[in-house]
Amino acid sequence: MTEATPVRLHRRVWAQLTSQHPIVVTIFALILGFLVGAIIIMTTTASVLDAWRGIFHNWGAPGHAIKLTFDNVGAAYRTMFTGSVVDPNSLWHSLTTGKNWPVTLTPISETLTYATPLVIVSIGVGIAFQTGIFNIGANGQAVLGGIAGGVVATMVHLPMVIHLPLALLAGVAGGMVAGSVPGILKAFTGAHEVIVTIMLNYVVYAFLLFAVLSTPFQQPGQQNDISRTFDGSAQFPPLFGTASGLRVSYGVLVAAMVVVFAWWFLDRSSLGFDFRVTGANPSAARASGISARSVVVLVFVISGGLAGLAGFVQAASTTHEIDGGFLIGNAGIGFTAITIALLGRNRPMGILWSSLLFAALGVGGRAMQSQTGIPLDLATVIQSVIVLFVATPVLVKEIFRLRAGPVATLKLATQGWGT
Amino acid sequence: MGNVTIAESTTEQALAVKPEGRTRVIAVIMAIVGLLTLLVFGMGSAATAHSTLNFSPINLSNSAPLHLGSLTLTTRWTVVVLALVMIGLGVEVFLRQPKSFVMGRFGVVAVLFLLALLFWAARTPGPSPVSFINLTDILTGSTEVVMVLIFGSLSGVMCERSGVVNIAIEGQYVAGAFFGSMVVSTTHNFFYAAIVGALVGGLLGLLLAFLALRYLVDQIIVGVVIVTMMSSLSSYLNLQVLTPFPQYNTGNLAPNLAIPLLSKIPILGPVLFNQSGFFYLMIVLVALVSFALFKTRYGLHVRAVGEHPHAAATVGISVSRVRYINVVLGGAIAGIGGVAFMASQGQFQPGYTSGLGYIALAAMIFGRWRPSGAVVASMIFGISVFLSYTLVSYDVPVSLYVLQMFPYIITIIVVAGLIGRVRPPGADGVPYRRD
Repeated sequence: MTEATPVRLHRRVWAQLTSQHPIVVTIFALILGFLVGAIIIMTTTASVLDAWRGIFHNWGAPGHAIKLTFDNVGAAYRTMFTGSVVDPNSLWHSLTTGKNWPVTLTPISETLTYATPLVIVSIGVGIAFQTGIFNIGANGQAVLGGIAGGVVATMVHLPMVIHLPLALLAGVAGGMVAGSVPGILKAFTGAHEVIVTIMLNYVVYAFLLFAVLSTPFQQPGQQNDISRTFDGSAQFPPLFGTASGLRVSYGVLVAAMVVVFAWWFLDRSSLGFDFRVTGANPSAARASGISARSVVVLVFVISGGLAGLAGFVQAASTTHEIDGGFLIGNAGIGFTAITIALLGRNRPMGILWSSLLFAALGVGGRAMQSQTGIPLDLATVIQSVIVLFVATPVLVKEIFRLRAGPVATLKLATQGWGT
Repeated sequence: MGNVTIAESTTEQALAVKPEGRTRVIAVIMAIVGLLTLLVFGMGSAATAHSTLNFSPINLSNSAPLHLGSLTLTTRWTVVVLALVMIGLGVEVFLRQPKSFVMGRFGVVAVLFLLALLFWAARTPGPSPVSFINLTDILTGSTEVVMVLIFGSLSGVMCERSGVVNIAIEGQYVAGAFFGSMVVSTTHNFFYAAIVGALVGGLLGLLLAFLALRYLVDQIIVGVVIVTMMSSLSSYLNLQVLTPFPQYNTGNLAPNLAIPLLSKIPILGPVLFNQSGFFYLMIVLVALVSFALFKTRYGLHVRAVGEHPHAAATVGISVSRVRYINVVLGGAIAGIGGVAFMASQGQFQPGYTSGLGYIALAAMIFGRWRPSGAVVASMIFGISVFLSYTLVSYDVPVSLYVLQMFPYIITIIVVAGLIGRVRPPGADGVPYRRD
């Protein structure tokens, strides 16, 4: 038996790779997502379509059309990679000459900057999912957190040691307020959180415009929907100093702390245990004396607080101000968070990796838009396709004819409209 | 399946609230809103101030109704009457605690509040640049929003009566509006646009049904992902295709089809009998869906599948077939709703449905999963959406953005006040497994 092991090792690896293991399913979902994205680029780019139309006119054209198609898709995905991870040429140049490191590191710094709020907000959404609660309102909660933190960051003047934590807490509080509304309504009236949170999102967006156009918060001398600039003492300083030119800030440490907190909370704390029991088996939770009502309220408060924190971190580490479109554009951070939480299977480490991936897609998408003209929204389309497949492991299994293995079902327990 | 139902019913029991206590809270809210209206807008306006009502539509396309003169009312006493009705409804609910239509009364109070605000804003002498209220225009404008909401909530009724939650209505709107605009721009024919809208919406319904019924994926998650996918895809296509080729998004407003004679009736004529084809199609669909659900054998099957799929399966009904058909048809209806929205706006713009799909879903709950109820609920929501946007032109001392929150806040209150009083189909949102 022992002698046979080395011979069979590659078979065992192969067996794992073709099984229905969660990681395998996720990888195949990624492949499918990028495949769909490629098809969309092929079928919607004018120059490519023109080339295909031309194949009826001369004999050399089909080759040209095929080449153009692959060039376009290749360029799109190449700029996505070089814009979000690293440009190999630049890396080689830096390695050989020791120069230009800031330029080489900019993409990865941008990805980390982009991922920071995503990690925080997605962990909030993931904790809610683990409790069987669907928090679609993370976007509104993040925006309200950004406003609340922004008010403290612009109107109070204190030394950084106090100011930054205070603004941070204000952000958390803002998110908690927005989160408590659907929580309390669900607990005490049974109103379904999906409708309440989505409606609340629109209320918060209107409030955001109201806030950034109101005198105390609006940038003085401005007619536009933009807030005052945060005090220097309420901004996250760049991790490698201002001179480096890299935007990645101390905000990443906050995100790291949130990951550790979430792991501790879900796996070690008794409240986290109550949450998970409620999500896994509501009747068992009830039988063991867990109050469904307080769990619902607390989940929304915690989830909303994390979203609010994310909103403030986003503003305090990148723009240092808030405008009327804060976090709303391009599907919104809260909606991305849902897909990230699903991709990461609601576990803190899973969410960390998924956030980095989706941040890379977002940052790379921007690079793609500026260099190839293919709109950034494609990244969001790819993300949603990936999540559809991750949520449907059986479909992925059927497409790739994977064998049965550790089952990759995603345990989710959202509930109906209630009676 | 057994486990799921038990688990769900116990959480619901754990969260169950007696509706009686809430009735009183809602009654008090209604009375307070009435009282505030009375004091601020009623007694707050000068005794000499007047508000003028007009009845002739500004846009006299096709067929002008018989002319009605304008009506000038004393602002103070008109608002006082509206406020007294609001207070009266509040008191009535508080004392009688009626079993049904409590939230309907709440919706009426919300609409009356906006009307009172409108009367007060349009008073002369007053600060407003617009010094009259055109009732006919307000009603026709609201009808456009109401119509879109009715398509959406009908779609919700179709899906949820068979036991599938369709959160993707918003995505079906967006897709319908996008492709509808392309078809109208190239063919100049709204009939083709409606067909394409129905196809696209139906395909999205098929996607939802396929993932939710065959692979038992959580229906709400599939719905939300479909919405995200459609809004980002339409925004992508808008930049990638429609911006370089604007000829595909010239769009157009759907022409009005005036019904002879009836369209001449003042006020009602322009609102009900001089509308685009989508309006008449909507009326036909409401009648069809009501009839099909409650008067035909197939409707009985649908409701059986939505209430108790196992019992339905036992008597030989194919649960998944019924659900597939209904979700695809429901998606098609929502897709047409998207085309209707595009046809009332003129062309496609990314993000312009701004949550109407979700309001439609709330209207469906408000309407107790019945087509007729959905119509009434959509009217209340639609009128309040339209009024809150109309008030902007009247220089109201309330921020435009605070006004824009109004319909969403009403939706939240209605949904919160309603649950516990209405009962969704028994198997709504519950995946069905043949055991």
